[in-house]
Amino acid sequence: MRDLLRHPTGLAGAVLLALIAVMTIFGPLIAPYDPQQFHPLSRLQGPSVAYWLGTDQFGRDILSRILNGARSTILFGLGATMAGVAAGGAIGLIAGAIGGAVDSLIMRLLDGLLAVPDLLFTLLIVTVLGGGSGHAMLAVAIAFMPGLARIARSTVLSVRTREFVLAAQARGESPVYVIACEIMPNTIAPIIVEATIRVSFAIMLGATLGFLGLGAQPPSTEWGLMIAEARQYMFRNPICVAAPGVAIALAALGFNLLGDALRDLTDPRGRR
Amino acid sequence: MNTAIASARPDARPALEARAYSLAYETPDGLVQALKSIDISIPRGKTLGLVGESGSGKTSLAWAIMRYLPRNARELGGELLLAGESLRATSKSQIADIRGARIGMVFQDPSTSLNPTLTLGEQLAETLIRHRKMSKAQAFSEGEALLARTGITRPAAMMKRYPHEASGGEKQRVVIATAFACDPECILFDEPTTALDTITSRQILDIFQRLQQDTGVAALYISHDLALVSRIAHDVAVIHRGEIVERGATATLFRNPQHDYTRALIAAAPRPDIRLSGPAPDTAAPTVLATQDLTVRYGGRSLLQKLMGRGEAAVEGARKIDLDIREGEVLGIVGESGSGKSTIARAIAGIVDFSGTISFDGHVVQERGAISRSYRRAAQIIFQNPDASLNPRQRVGEIIARPLKLYGLAKGGAIEARVAELLAQVRLPAEFAGRYPHQLSGGEKQRVAIARAFAARPKLVICDEITSSLDVSVQAAVARLLVDLQAESKASCLFITHDLNLVRQLAHRIAVVYRGDLVDLFEAADFDAQKRHPYTRALLEAMPPPIHP
Repeated sequence: MRDLLRHPTGLAGAVLLALIAVMTIFGPLIAPYDPQQFHPLSRLQGPSVAYWLGTDQFGRDILSRILNGARSTILFGLGATMAGVAAGGAIGLIAGAIGGAVDSLIMRLLDGLLAVPDLLFTLLIVTVLGGGSGHAMLAVAIAFMPGLARIARSTVLSVRTREFVLAAQARGESPVYVIACEIMPNTIAPIIVEATIRVSFAIMLGATLGFLGLGAQPPSTEWGLMIAEARQYMFRNPICVAAPGVAIALAALGFNLLGDALRDLTDPRGRR
Repeated sequence: MNTAIASARPDARPALEARAYSLAYETPDGLVQALKSIDISIPRGKTLGLVGESGSGKTSLAWAIMRYLPRNARELGGELLLAGESLRATSKSQIADIRGARIGMVFQDPSTSLNPTLTLGEQLAETLIRHRKMSKAQAFSEGEALLARTGITRPAAMMKRYPHEASGGEKQRVVIATAFACDPECILFDEPTTALDTITSRQILDIFQRLQQDTGVAALYISHDLALVSRIAHDVAVIHRGEIVERGATATLFRNPQHDYTRALIAAAPRPDIRLSGPAPDTAAPTVLATQDLTVRYGGRSLLQKLMGRGEAAVEGARKIDLDIREGEVLGIVGESGSGKSTIARAIAGIVDFSGTISFDGHVVQERGAISRSYRRAAQIIFQNPDASLNPRQRVGEIIARPLKLYGLAKGGAIEARVAELLAQVRLPAEFAGRYPHQLSGGEKQRVAIARAFAARPKLVICDEITSSLDVSVQAAVARLLVDLQAESKASCLFITHDLNLVRQLAHRIAVVYRGDLVDLFEAADFDAQKRHPYTRALLEAMPPPIHP
């Protein structure tokens, strides 16, 4: 942790994420207005003392909507990634640890899925399952699964031939012990690194789905949806679109920087 | 006028010199001094052996001379001189002209110092084109001549090969030919034979010595291997924690070492005339392990490759090995890398599939799947590299306790007591139980691995090159510890090594394997006998003679 804060990229990421975390936890409490409250007399206003970031087409306070939206947006990113890591990690671990024909079969199937771009894949799943936050999250998790499974598997393969695993096999340990106690603890670091970077992709994908109307539904304050709803009024009050856009970009950047720093720190070759 | 004198007597100036040179590295924990006021001087045509253990700063000195310093390096003072010219004062572009042309370098591992995407000829010719301004055609014909000088029989064919198509010895010859290509004043060798087999190393050293006589080049030869340095260096400097603690003519220094550290290093070098293990067990002692036609195949084609008609056929790592070990006996297995000695160890430890029969401690098994847990408890394996054989996420206490729990050898509070007892047996303090492997030194880690093996109360301990990743001074202590524990527990031991001097100190009988076959098996005392297999004799001849203080 101390190393992370000494790493310039890591520090920048941590600061951004601390900001986002405050918004996620305390957002609704510190918001000056109810995010759904209409102020018909002050529609599409620019920044003012009353409305720091101005108002949208219904006269709703943009700052309050951003602060409220942090929770759904960030939780979407975290939730989708965690589900993807759990499923992908488990599949990769099993494929790598068992090896042989089982491994070949699973990996060829996942390779097939990897060939489809993430966005197209999520669109397909959401179209089949129907829109909404939950389905969109599931779709992103499924889209992430093959890539995470690949990473988990390659880590397992490199750990599996290490001598401490051979030593466990020579002792006559059960396969469950070898996987759970010898292999798995040594595969966590690279998966966490990958997952951190993926959270930013998940946020972007979630925002994209929101924008396309396939994710969160109005009157949710999800940031992608905010952009979609305000896009017709973009030229009358650019902040309607810019504010959630910047928020998405900062959140994604924060996770990305943190992930990069974690990757540098966990890679012994990158250490000086 | 001074320059006239200097050019009239070029030999007066040493080819390479360091004067009070100090170097430090900036780390998060502050400045760490790597070299402290180093003074060395190598005249033309001479070799200085720089001997030190890992972390002593010997490679840092080579980097400093080549001006390959990492960004966090800080030069604290002193001078580095190439034929009297300061290397520290030269600019980056001047250094580029000096590297390869006036200073050559030969690294430890030829497979990493050669570019895998270029042919060997292109890499050799590049130096000639760059520094001797030759045309491509000239460079290639000169390159062939240089390769021929290093003893490569068909240089033209070798020039067209890529690094992966050449053996380790051939690659190192190409690197040496490149180093000598521009007739440099000085060549730095950084452990150039460590990655090579005994016999190949010997050939490489012979080539170097011949080329040095022909060209009169000065050489700095960095190594941890005292016996090897004593064979090729004219002078020796011993480096310890960044300081040169002793220097002198090779013969004098080894015969009459002054500094305590030098004495300890020399005392730690294996000497076959001093036996570490006790007398051989009675010939009537029961046989613990016997293998019959033990064969291990590696590789083979996967289902898909078979369908496509591609892939390589299986390779036999070990072929029809018949071995037996008596109770309390130490059986040494020697061979080069890739000879199959580790394969035999892994088959007996039940890590690789095998065919043939293993009879061990009342069990008779013909396949890996048939090996029972009681067999596995009685046969414990210790690996070469303790960094790899201890799980970095487990504490030392957990690591040693695992066999106790797995085989039900201790329960509850007794486990902790037994772990402390085992730590004491391998001469480690009890509080090490709470540490992680990365907090321990290499020798300490290997002691933990030994404690884990003996925790299972084994009948047979398989030691796979357990000293070769350790420093010289630690090797001897670990070998002695193993022998003590083995004698105390009356376990038998399969001791695998490439170090003939060491195996002669430890083993009662010695088996020699070559390309997967067991070619020789004899009593340790009969080592020098004329009737030995030609390969055993070749190994023995290639071995640097042990040092006798």
